[in-house]
Amino acid sequence: MHSTRTAEFPVLLAFPPQGHWTQPHLAIPSLVAWLRSQGYTSVHQMDLSVEAFDHFLTPSYLERAKAKARARLPLERLQAAETLPLGEARAWRAAVEAEVSADALIARVEDAKRLVRGQDAASDDARGFWDPDRYLPAVRTLYHGLRLVSAAHYPSELTPHNFTMRYSNDRSHEVLAATRDEDENPFLAFYRERVLPRIVALRPRVLGLSVLYGSQLVPALTLGRLVKEALPECHVTAGGGYLAYVGKKVMQAAGIAACLDSIVFHEGEAPLLGLCDALRDAGSERGAAAGADLSLVGSLVWFDRRGGGARPTFNLPAHPIKLDAAPAPDLDGLPFDKYFSPRLVVPYDVNRGCYYGECTFCTLPTVIGPGYRTRSAQTIAHHVLELRDKYATTHFNFITDCMPPGLLEDLPRRLIADDAGITWWADARVEPKSYTPAGTKLLYDSGCRKLLFGFESASKRILKMMMKGQSLKSVIEVAENCAKADISVTFYAMVGFPTETREEARATLRFLEEHAGTVREVSLQTFHIDEVALTYREPERFGLKILDDPGADLALYHDYEAQSGMTQEEAAEMFEELMASFRQKLPLFAGDNVFYFMQKSHYFLHLVGTPERAPETPDSFEQRLRARMERKARRGVVGSLRVRPGLASVPLSFAYKGARDLIAHPLARAARPDFLTGRFVGDAEQLAETRLPHLPRASSVLVYDGDSAEFVELRPDGLAALRALERAGDLEALARTASPAGRERLEAFAAELHRVGILAGDEARHAHDTTLTPAPRRAVATTPRTASTQESHHAPQG
Amino acid sequence: MHRKAESQTNQSTANQGTTEQETAEARAHAEQAQGTHTDAELDFESLDLSIETVEERISPSETNVFDK
Repeated sequence: MHSTRTAEFPVLLAFPPQGHWTQPHLAIPSLVAWLRSQGYTSVHQMDLSVEAFDHFLTPSYLERAKAKARARLPLERLQAAETLPLGEARAWRAAVEAEVSADALIARVEDAKRLVRGQDAASDDARGFWDPDRYLPAVRTLYHGLRLVSAAHYPSELTPHNFTMRYSNDRSHEVLAATRDEDENPFLAFYRERVLPRIVALRPRVLGLSVLYGSQLVPALTLGRLVKEALPECHVTAGGGYLAYVGKKVMQAAGIAACLDSIVFHEGEAPLLGLCDALRDAGSERGAAAGADLSLVGSLVWFDRRGGGARPTFNLPAHPIKLDAAPAPDLDGLPFDKYFSPRLVVPYDVNRGCYYGECTFCTLPTVIGPGYRTRSAQTIAHHVLELRDKYATTHFNFITDCMPPGLLEDLPRRLIADDAGITWWADARVEPKSYTPAGTKLLYDSGCRKLLFGFESASKRILKMMMKGQSLKSVIEVAENCAKADISVTFYAMVGFPTETREEARATLRFLEEHAGTVREVSLQTFHIDEVALTYREPERFGLKILDDPGADLALYHDYEAQSGMTQEEAAEMFEELMASFRQKLPLFAGDNVFYFMQKSHYFLHLVGTPERAPETPDSFEQRLRARMERKARRGVVGSLRVRPGLASVPLSFAYKGARDLIAHPLARAARPDFLTGRFVGDAEQLAETRLPHLPRASSVLVYDGDSAEFVELRPDGLAALRALERAGDLEALARTASPAGRERLEAFAAELHRVGILAGDEARHAHDTTLTPAPRRAVATTPRTASTQESHHAPQG
Repeated sequence: MHRKAESQTNQSTANQGTTEQETAEARAHAEQAQGTHTDAELDFESLDLSIETVEERISPSETNVFDK
């Protein structure tokens, strides 16, 4: 039977942009493994997300982006404005950043990629990934490179964490327009140049697109449209978490049939196999796409094209698979050298669904379909050993809504007994009986280095409304036991749950601050309501009035009015307050250290070590980061301070910091469709434009240093001083020309730029140099000299 | 040090004034905006040497390590 299934029936499964770039996502490898285990021998997979990041972050692409950004965002016009309202401030910021940083980014992007991937040296000791002073500028270079890419497609924004366009995901006509927008959709050209030729050569009979996040919707449909135009005989299907929520609406929207032939709901294995079987059995290639009867394929919504037209047809649910009998994910064919990480961290699903399943805000378990299933410890260990040996890696990310208590007992013992020698991290639920001192020691011995717990709130009242089923006492007991075992603890926390007051949110903040030595990271979210949530289905229970937008035919999230507690806007402000505190209290969030938190597995890799490098403990890594910050803060005046070669500058007609603050204001954020902020106010753009002040003119300068990858704003006087320093050669030479008072101010200025990284000094000499004037940490000027600089202080504070 | 976009001078300063004196002032102001003083002209004591560094804002979409 299997032998008839396949060779002549190529299947391609693809992960469209944008997903996180540090490690493979699980969905496609799971489905590839399933199809191959069922006899399909010609199954291919592409991670187009990481391929796109890799393609965009090349010198040649950034050269094109620079030219395109200049044409798209004419700096002269933006600089000539009398004031900048919010929308123009965004454009201006993108334009000036692109202008000042493009050349440095083009020159450094390849080195930055090599460093973050651990490809910059033969041995770990020499690799920059392990040195924060080299790693963090490299990561910033990559982020800034994506800002240049975004400027070229303004107002679209691509980051390692999100992709948004001017179009709303909530409206099908906007989504479809986005798939055709040659100027603002960067993936159209990427697909045509880099992807479509390969797909056409492969001639798949089925293309499956994994859409886990809202950020993937437009890129997925864009590819679907291109493939359907190029290969009419190819059946284009899609599935994944985001479509589990909105897929039925998508399939009923006019025009979608040009991009898709079907959508698979919930767990993909059985429906995808059924779809491939049905299409294969339908016979001729064109007939398969145009007229196959797919009515018996479970959990599928498909366009019935028999008789012309495209009629959305909803099938019955498929039976879930027996998870314990499912194969290990198959990563063969993924571009391992393109992930932005020096080590492969393999995702592996230990279970599906949530064994607890009571939390009133959470709908994540529903995306996989009803029911809860787990693999046995024996199966997991068997698969882990198989994956470890096949892919020569010992690092795993166990994908789970939360590790169940039974597995917390059995799995570590099994991994230890099998001498797996792996390290792993996972999400978890607070289970006091499992995370005892002995239990956490066992977990550590089995390789567990990091656990992420759903903490959510320190308010007993809110926890009760959430039905979290956990006490604060047990939360901290579990966290402390983990910390004592050197397992790093991350807490998920939430602000803005219905009826939550500012005082309750601040109590949560105080709790987290008190336990900053135990909790290393906080994944903070604002509360939002999706259509599956209990808060949507029973709003009166939470004192909510759900707001509907009749034009939003693909709406997933809803705005609401709360009878008590914080408004959505106040919750957004509270997010800023909590985050500001974390930046102060948590070493992993201080300054640019936060990039470790944002790079998913990178901090975990420090806890793991390598054959050449001893592992860090959470404490020792935090101490290392703290020491780095202190070292930077101590950087002061040395006579040898000089301007780094290649420092670029652009004169500004507005204050850069003012624009950044304006854009970061919670009202301004709500104006952009950011699908995880929980704010989707229909008239938000207009509201923000009305309520936020316009940016006034100010004479200023933006400089960019490619080595430190820092944007710094100076006054024109500051630029003149930098130019003088450049001509003089070093600080000592310039300082000799100054009066004593002038010298003091010049040295304070130079010291601050040294701390920022704009000026280079002889660090070894500095370490022994205690004779020069110590410099203050903050900005050196006490009296704004010109009216324009005073104006810049009027910018709103976000 | 490269100076970028010098043709895109601050319009409010470079183009203001029509008399000779005003033009000279505008030129001085524009020169200041572009940092083209000569060293002899620099009186560090009176210069505005303030510095703004901007800490990266963390968006809610960047804090959810589970999703993103």
